[in-house]
Amino acid sequence: MNTQMAAIIKKDMQSITCNKRMFTTLLVVPIVLTIFLPFVFILSIYFVPEEGKELLALLEMFPIPVQSGSSLKSIIWFMLNILLPVFFLIIPIMASSVMSAASFVGEKEKRTLETLLYCPLSLKQIFRAKVIASFLISMLVSAISFTSMLIVIETLSYAITGSFTFPDAKWFFILFLIAPTISLIAITLIVQMSARAQSIEDAQQGAVFLLIPVLLLLIGQFTGILFISTWLLLVIGILCALAAGLLLKKSMNHFQYETLLKN
Amino acid sequence: MNVITLTELSKIYPGGKKAVDSVNITLSSGEVFGFLGPNGAGKTTTIKLLGGMLTPTQGSCTVFSLDPAKNPEKVHALCGVVTEHAQMYDALTGIQNLIFYGSIYGLTPSESKKRGLELLKQLELYDAKDQKLSAYSTGMRQRLSFARALIHQPKILFLDEPTSGLDPESAQNVHDMIRLLSKENGITVFLCTHQLRYAQEICTRYGLMEKGNLLAEGTLTQLRSKVCSGATMKIKATEIPHELSCYQTPEGILEIPIQSEEEIPKTARRIIESGGNIYHISTVLPSLEDIYFHLTTRKESLK
Ligand SMILES: Nc1ncnc2c1ncn2[C@@H]1O[C@H](COP(=O)(O)OP(=O)(O)OP(=O)(O)O)[C@@H](O)[C@H]1O
Ligand SMILES: [Mg+2]
Repeated sequence: MNTQMAAIIKKDMQSITCNKRMFTTLLVVPIVLTIFLPFVFILSIYFVPEEGKELLALLEMFPIPVQSGSSLKSIIWFMLNILLPVFFLIIPIMASSVMSAASFVGEKEKRTLETLLYCPLSLKQIFRAKVIASFLISMLVSAISFTSMLIVIETLSYAITGSFTFPDAKWFFILFLIAPTISLIAITLIVQMSARAQSIEDAQQGAVFLLIPVLLLLIGQFTGILFISTWLLLVIGILCALAAGLLLKKSMNHFQYETLLKN
Repeated sequence: MNVITLTELSKIYPGGKKAVDSVNITLSSGEVFGFLGPNGAGKTTTIKLLGGMLTPTQGSCTVFSLDPAKNPEKVHALCGVVTEHAQMYDALTGIQNLIFYGSIYGLTPSESKKRGLELLKQLELYDAKDQKLSAYSTGMRQRLSFARALIHQPKILFLDEPTSGLDPESAQNVHDMIRLLSKENGITVFLCTHQLRYAQEICTRYGLMEKGNLLAEGTLTQLRSKVCSGATMKIKATEIPHELSCYQTPEGILEIPIQSEEEIPKTARRIIESGGNIYHISTVLPSLEDIYFHLTTRKESLK
């Protein structure tokens, strides 16, 4: 890494503040998923306890750690450690695809890519700089989302049950294995689309496919078919890492002057 | 030393279009090469080949002995490129853009700011330096592109119609800068343009392309002797002899093509002997425009 690549990374990362629509997307989705969703969920169960009964029945299926707590405490634990981890994955997927669509397709669309290609960096370096920029934004958004989610949950937990409810080991794998690798996968998919896509929207549609496995995980969990254990997450994470490595190599090959400037 | 060489350079686009066909050119340091030709002649394609954005189908080209297809980043460090499609960032101001491009060419932020402001002054954009590019006019963008191409003090400039959207004053200014850069800094300039009058003012050598072929190449004098030798004699007179009247323009001026100076006194004597008065005589050598049209139309008449 050199200062020239750092300049590209910095410029790409700063560009999100210039693009209103992109900035709103990056802001709204995490707020809904990590603040609004847990808030509404926990409060509605607190104020309408009958609804919680059914949920408690569902909770029987999950190995809730032995706690000297109320059913509310179990529900908060369920929220934090079963429900939110899967929902959370939407955030890095969304952030990295929005960012990389602007960074790769947007530059092509606005005809600034050609200018950038004339700089004295190799294509590999430009490619890396752009992937790093999208990756960093995705990690930044995920980290901020996780922190704000934790603050909301802990505050509610303390206010309602009088004690904190801690995140379990799943979150470690989500944050440090699955979120990074799934971001890289989303970025490489967008890059491959960027050869064909003529507009940012075109490319972002491609990333929607990545949400399908996340939705399947969610459904599986709710219907009781699938229980997302820490081990399952580790396996998923390793598979994602392998896929990300392969895809990165493959999309690097797509990154050629002639294919990039063709329109 | 040869700065740019094109050896049997050919490019066939994937669709089968032969855009450049066995072109040979060598340029040495400090030359301003005017690359001329009608639309679709292959000028932009040649610039893209030299910048490494395209790989030659046959033949090769070198820039300072580097092959742009193999070491594009090394070539890019030495050259500045202005093409019609290369845009900059609308969300940044003029000077922010220059600082960014300076930094990816390896300048420190303070260096690129200093150099950027200098260039903005020279290109009369200093007052607009803090305006976002989205508020720039076409001509302002074009001039900023020229500033961007110069930010890292390149040794070669590839300019693809750098003055196409400019008003006459700005175009003159840019042309003066190009001339100065080649004279004082020894920068080699590869200039594609349709503005033949300006080209004649600033270029030291020319290449005329049509449909991918290099029709003729050389200095203006060389082209004159190769393509259309001779000159035009212009005479303003009264009582023009009958056999000369076919050369008369609607304004009453005689324009007679001549091959040697000897024809001037001969014609003058004939007018005077037939009782006419001569008010003005001059000879005009063929301009670049004349040569251009001569070349492109001669090809037509051969078919
Ligand atoms: N990407 C491409 N794919 C296929 N054919 C192309 C492509 N780009 C240019 N051509 C063709 O190659 C030929 C040369 O094009 P080029 O852009 O080099 O012309 P030019 O001399 O720059 O013309 P102009 O004066 O209009 O800018 C044209 O016939 C054009 O149609
Ligand atoms: Mg062109």
